[in-house]
Amino acid sequence: MLTTLIWLPILGAAVIGFFPGAIAASSARLGALTIAGLVLLWNLFLLLKFDISNPGMQLQEYLPWNDTLGLSYQLGVDGLSILMLILNSLLTWIAIYSSSQQTERPRLFYSLILLASGGVAGAFAAQNLLLFFLFYEIELIPFYLLIAIWGGQNRTYAAIKFLIYTAVSGALILATFLGTVWLTGSTSFNYDTLSTQTLSTALQIILLAGMVLGFGIKIPLVPFHTWLPDAYVEASAPIAILLGGVLAKLGTYGVLRFGMALFPQAWSILAPSLAIWGAVSAMYGAVTAIAQKDIKRMVAYSSIGHMGYILLAAAASTSLALVGGIAQMVSHGIILAILFHLVGVVEAKVGTRELDKLNGLMNPIRGLPLISALLVLGGMASAGIPGMTGFIAEFIVFQGSFSVFPIPTLLCVIATGLTAVYFVILINRTCFGKLDNNLAYYPKILWSEKMPALILAALILFLGIQPTWLVRWAEPTSTAMVAAIPPLEKTVTSQVALNP
Amino acid sequence: MDFANLASQLNAGTILPEGIVIVTLLAVLIVDLILGRTSSRWIGYLAIAGLLASIVALYFEWDNTNPISFGGAFNGDDLSIVFRGIVALSAAVTILMSIRYVEQSGTALAEFIAILLTATLGGMFLSGASELVMIFISLETLSISSYLLTGYTKRDPRSNEAALKYLLIGASSTAVFLYGASLLYGLSGGETQLSAIANGIAISGFGQSLGLVIALVFVIAGIGFKISAAPFHQWTPDVYEGAPTPVIAFLSVGSKAAGFALAIRLLTTAFPLVAEEWKFVFTALAVLSMVLGNVVALAQTSMKRMLAYSSIGQAGFVMIGLVAGTQAGYSSMVFYLLVYLFMNLCGFTCVILFSLRTGTDQIVEYSGLYQKDPLLTLGLSISLLSLGGIPPLAGFFGKIYLFWAGWQAGQYGLVLLGLITTVVSIYYYIRVVRMMVVKEPHEMSDVVKNYPEVRWNLPGYRPLQVGLVVTLIATSIAGILSNPLFTLANNSIAHTSILQPTAVVTTQVSAMNNE
Repeated sequence: MLTTLIWLPILGAAVIGFFPGAIAASSARLGALTIAGLVLLWNLFLLLKFDISNPGMQLQEYLPWNDTLGLSYQLGVDGLSILMLILNSLLTWIAIYSSSQQTERPRLFYSLILLASGGVAGAFAAQNLLLFFLFYEIELIPFYLLIAIWGGQNRTYAAIKFLIYTAVSGALILATFLGTVWLTGSTSFNYDTLSTQTLSTALQIILLAGMVLGFGIKIPLVPFHTWLPDAYVEASAPIAILLGGVLAKLGTYGVLRFGMALFPQAWSILAPSLAIWGAVSAMYGAVTAIAQKDIKRMVAYSSIGHMGYILLAAAASTSLALVGGIAQMVSHGIILAILFHLVGVVEAKVGTRELDKLNGLMNPIRGLPLISALLVLGGMASAGIPGMTGFIAEFIVFQGSFSVFPIPTLLCVIATGLTAVYFVILINRTCFGKLDNNLAYYPKILWSEKMPALILAALILFLGIQPTWLVRWAEPTSTAMVAAIPPLEKTVTSQVALNP
Repeated sequence: MDFANLASQLNAGTILPEGIVIVTLLAVLIVDLILGRTSSRWIGYLAIAGLLASIVALYFEWDNTNPISFGGAFNGDDLSIVFRGIVALSAAVTILMSIRYVEQSGTALAEFIAILLTATLGGMFLSGASELVMIFISLETLSISSYLLTGYTKRDPRSNEAALKYLLIGASSTAVFLYGASLLYGLSGGETQLSAIANGIAISGFGQSLGLVIALVFVIAGIGFKISAAPFHQWTPDVYEGAPTPVIAFLSVGSKAAGFALAIRLLTTAFPLVAEEWKFVFTALAVLSMVLGNVVALAQTSMKRMLAYSSIGQAGFVMIGLVAGTQAGYSSMVFYLLVYLFMNLCGFTCVILFSLRTGTDQIVEYSGLYQKDPLLTLGLSISLLSLGGIPPLAGFFGKIYLFWAGWQAGQYGLVLLGLITTVVSIYYYIRVVRMMVVKEPHEMSDVVKNYPEVRWNLPGYRPLQVGLVVTLIATSIAGILSNPLFTLANNSIAHTSILQPTAVVTTQVSAMNNE
């Protein structure tokens, strides 16, 4: 079942990459679109088969692989990963759809996207730490090439920066995985047989800290975020959608799955600092976005801010906050995808991304009215306006976290306010105002360019009005995950009792 | 001593694989003498057939119940079999590469193959040698043939310089090794067999003496030279740059594997009393090799020089398994050397192909290659990424096993350094991939613009293609389908009596009792 999600895209990548004879760009795109569409359909089918009331692993698959290393091909989904899987296949389809018909070197482009997509699906479904790491590292080269070949002006620098940061993150994660498995005396990396209860608290904290740092580079958390603005801005629009929408989620997913669930005690000790870290990240992202002159950079920094909320929610570790955090992962993925897609369209049609040059795109005849309207909608969704999915997710996060960490939560609420500020700046400078009469002869917008944004906008509105479809999948899982974590007050008092 | 007794002492069946190589070697030489240059069309295939037959013979030697032969001078246990296999296989692939290369340099192929087979013979004997004189003789056979091979293209001044440098450093390091071996002979009261040396030293009361430590250090100087561990690595970059490329392909895999086989056998059998000391020395060598090999490789402009520093760094990774000193550690070394064979030979095949078609091996000249030669680009990219440890290629699994074994043995610092230097190594490996794949058509180098049309039916190109495709496939799938290789590596260690923890402990205990 889950195997199909991983191997269908990888197989598709092989077919597109090694198909004998020449393939036109448009037919390569069509082939990739078909494969991604099939994967998406299969994923929706799995969503139907998914038993919401079961908090544990479902649709499990197991194949022994390598006993010496303790590596086994063990897959499974729960409420946390099923949403990530569906987000991955949806955004892969959208990214391929929003790619240009005239992409250069199309076969390499689409096969790398499909390869990366299969790898991400594998990472979300893997129930073996080493298998997760394998899929986590598979992303490295395809995304490096996708940025380095089809990127903007400064792509070489951005791609190598992305590569080094991600490789360092992988090294940290592997070190903590090896440490966890060996120190607990386990012989295999299987997730369900691992238990860190036997470790001393100090050791748990060291391992958890290594893991948070490793995944924190990917999320990314301030100050490990400096690869992100470069990579997002230099990547072409479809790649930016995948980078921000899917790849960043690997980081938060890893923190939740391997940090929080494997080290519950250490987690409750580190939680206050993580909450503050999340809040600082959120504030930093928002404040820096205000200062940007490039709309893509603005959206990139907004991504840093929004990922901060997820860390806050994870740190609070109430079941409400965790549901909110998972919902925020999904809604951030969708919202970032629509924003990057629209920015890509604007750049392609207008030829610039600078706030000082863009103006009056709302003009119904000579401007880009529909794109502008969708941009307004995307900005509002990102800023947390009710009626859209961003609000739902953020509100649940804040509601769940406030009782535990009031000050960081308030900081995050302020960050949401600042998000509104820079999106108003963005919309004001791009959509409103007057068109420059000398330069404003923009090409027509094709239906195929509007489609992805329309689909995503419909999804944003639907999930904003009918939020149970967003949160119902993750509720039992997050309750079960939170139940394992010792409540914060108790830990604090017991520590006080220990040190009179 | 009657004949039957002598025959059972000799137990000459264990060296049947080497016997086949010797016969092949003589056949190559004689055929060349009789037929002259006309034989060069098929003489390479004769040598390859001989080497493959030798590997088949090795297969039948597996799990030999009576591996000790020649009165204890040679030990045909499973450890030696797997290393002899690596040496023979690397020689076979090297011949595939060299058929065209040597022809193009205007020198005789049969002589080249004869020297290469002699080196192979030395390496194979070294893998199983368990007596000081035997070790020294096979080491010299390997070394002297390597000097000859390095200077084989004798009209090229760089090749001459490399041969001289290799000869001077190699001869001195062998002398140092010989001095260490003679100390061992003296300390142990006149024992030359490795298994008897440890006991002899313990009995004569030199268990922790300065003399034993000096002998250890001298012996390690000789081993470190063969595996090009820093600080005994200085010859590597110059020799790799000057020597004919097929030769360095063999030196980087075959000669290095023989060196590691010698290291495992000599250190575990002759030096159990100073195990802490040699582990400490090899920790230092591993740290130096990983840091120096991977950091200096960043600054290289020549492909062969970059691969030279990379091979120093890779030796550092392999030493993690040696330092771990557990069964898992040794088998991770064997596994890594097996996959290292595929990825390094694949990389060198591509380098040879590129330099055959363009006559250069500067890294910048590779830019834009994907358009002219996709197969070469794919092969070099996959092998370099595998050397960098990118999943799901063979090198990733090799590195994971090394790190896993190192971590299990408590070598946290080494494993963390290995992880960090792996990140560094990804940077310089990906630089070449970027040159080939990422560069736009208008950024193509002049050499690639004038790239000759890719044709495989020219004489000598077909074996290159076969070698490339086989090693490429092996590099790509040896990780995913790694179970047979893992079983092979684990069994080769588990079936080797000298590496059993109980055996080592009992020797040590009995030695201590005798003290």
